[in-house]
Amino acid sequence: MLNHAEASEKFIEDAERTTWHDETLWFVRSKRDKVSKLLPEWEALREQASLIKDHTLANLGQYLIEFESNAQKNGIKVHWAKDAQEHNEIVHSIISKHGGKALVKSKSMLTEECHLNEFLTKKGVEVVDTDLGERIVQFRNEVPSHIVLPAIHLKKEDVGETFHEFLGTPKGNKDPQFLTEAARQHLRGYFLGANVAITGVNFAVAETGEFVVCTNEGNADMGAHLAKVHIACMGIEKMIPKRKDLGVFLRLLARSATGQLITTYSSHFAKPRKGQEMHIILVDNGRTRQLARDEFRNSLKCIRCAACFNTCPVYRRSGGHSYHQPVAGPIGSILAPNFDKSANVDLPFASTLCGSCSNVCPVKINIHEQLWFWRQDLMKDGLAPLGKSLSMKGMAFMFSNPTIFKMAGYMGRLVMRFAPFIVNNSFNPWFKQREMPEAPKESFQSWYKNRK
Amino acid sequence: MSSRSEILGAIQALEKREIHHPGDFKSYKATQDLVGDFKNSLSIVGAICIEAENKQKAEARLSEIYPDLLRYTSHDVVTNGLELEAVDVLEIDGLFGVAENGAIWLSDQFLPNRVAPFICQHLVIYVAKSEIVATLHEAYERLDGHYADFALFLSGPSKTADIEQSLVIGAHGARSLTIILT
Ligand code: SF4
Repeated sequence: MLNHAEASEKFIEDAERTTWHDETLWFVRSKRDKVSKLLPEWEALREQASLIKDHTLANLGQYLIEFESNAQKNGIKVHWAKDAQEHNEIVHSIISKHGGKALVKSKSMLTEECHLNEFLTKKGVEVVDTDLGERIVQFRNEVPSHIVLPAIHLKKEDVGETFHEFLGTPKGNKDPQFLTEAARQHLRGYFLGANVAITGVNFAVAETGEFVVCTNEGNADMGAHLAKVHIACMGIEKMIPKRKDLGVFLRLLARSATGQLITTYSSHFAKPRKGQEMHIILVDNGRTRQLARDEFRNSLKCIRCAACFNTCPVYRRSGGHSYHQPVAGPIGSILAPNFDKSANVDLPFASTLCGSCSNVCPVKINIHEQLWFWRQDLMKDGLAPLGKSLSMKGMAFMFSNPTIFKMAGYMGRLVMRFAPFIVNNSFNPWFKQREMPEAPKESFQSWYKNRK
Repeated sequence: MSSRSEILGAIQALEKREIHHPGDFKSYKATQDLVGDFKNSLSIVGAICIEAENKQKAEARLSEIYPDLLRYTSHDVVTNGLELEAVDVLEIDGLFGVAENGAIWLSDQFLPNRVAPFICQHLVIYVAKSEIVATLHEAYERLDGHYADFALFLSGPSKTADIEQSLVIGAHGARSLTIILT
């Protein structure tokens, strides 16, 4: 597996596409800015959302129990899964009872996290992803590169090629309208025939035992209302206390995600329809571990809007796949080491720590600080990438010794003036795609001392 | 030990932290022009808006927009959602609208079937001008104590921008949405 830096290097080989990716995501970020500024209470809403989540996480056990009992009263079957394996097995056992061979699934990052598709495919069940972007990447045997815009790494030519191969659309046709229509027709067939539908959950309301699913395409509802069995999969952190809290989160979610006022559909599922079975699976998979860590607990407030992706200068120029995780971007880089530290040591370093992510996050997660906490944690465990740990140790030594720091500055200026090749070489990754500045003749310290 | 008790046990083992719920949120300024704002939001989300005194008056306009199409209303109860696949135009009643985002609250008591607003090709929703609230906070305030087995906020026709961020109307749900403001 390539680490983040290596994978990014491959991504940016195509300069034109990198620029497109960068600018497109920045455009989405700008739309978010525009709609958020139209609300005078925007900052108060973020604060409110953050406080509600803090409160919920401090009382998570109680709210889970309340949700469970209300959902059961509503006729929903509630399951608990401690990890991905158990989650997948529960899904499979429900499907087996209904003898379905194909199921329709709308977007759920949790099922990506649990690698549900792979698991079910091995068991002979065909999983059909019904979100357009997810269907595109599924055809291509890829994974989503963005949690809200799964196929943002692709151009319409790529989609045209893929649909030509899998749906028989005319070769060379790359018209988004035409291709979307082809997908609509193709997926309708599956919606009408599926016994089982799987959806994610955006918010689960403890007070009422209902859950809310947000989409723009309508695919979650097409699946859930036609199938005999609806399975909703959620991480335990999706809980919110009261229905009125939904007002706060629904106002923030779409505005932060795509700059929309609200998603087209915000569906509130409380009871199964007559003759239908409704299941909900509450999944831990490392969340209680994260909940116990003071410095990382906040990451569980995430509502998966992807605003932090769209604003991130590293994500925009390295693409989602370089993060080799179902959830990429700044928040993914905090969540990943919780699953497996040594496999994800590169991710907390895939950031400039500029803090833009924390500034846009609708639930005010201190994302960049947590990345920095992980760096320290990984250093302590001796897991940090070798180059980083050597240079960090060097830096720590230098910063704690004022004389050596001054010396180093002097040496640095000499090097930059007379022998720039010493830093501008292939051993210094910082130098790729960068020009070093001309070194000043005098240090700031000596200028400050000598100024008249 | 069951996973349920394992998960709840892990949570309960954590140190207690007293953090209070911040209370209900109040939106800052109530708009002066609910109908105007609602209409503006409808145009942003891609819905067509027709003002009519009543349903009968709207009829002429509707048959203009959707000539010769199979039309269904809220009163046609269909137990098998699959039958609705053949419906071109579904006309239903919305309970109220939200000015800030053009969303309309639809509850399954007023739907022929839960899948109806998604599976039909075109959707027509009636909303009374007197039934528009400013923001989602007022919306949930209004819903307090009213529970439906299934309900949703619907804002605009179904859409996607998954192919190179080009907006395409009519992903899986309705291809067009017409709101009749009475
Ligand atoms: S961390 Fe914040 S900005 Fe990033 S996806 Fe989660 S909620 Fe959105």
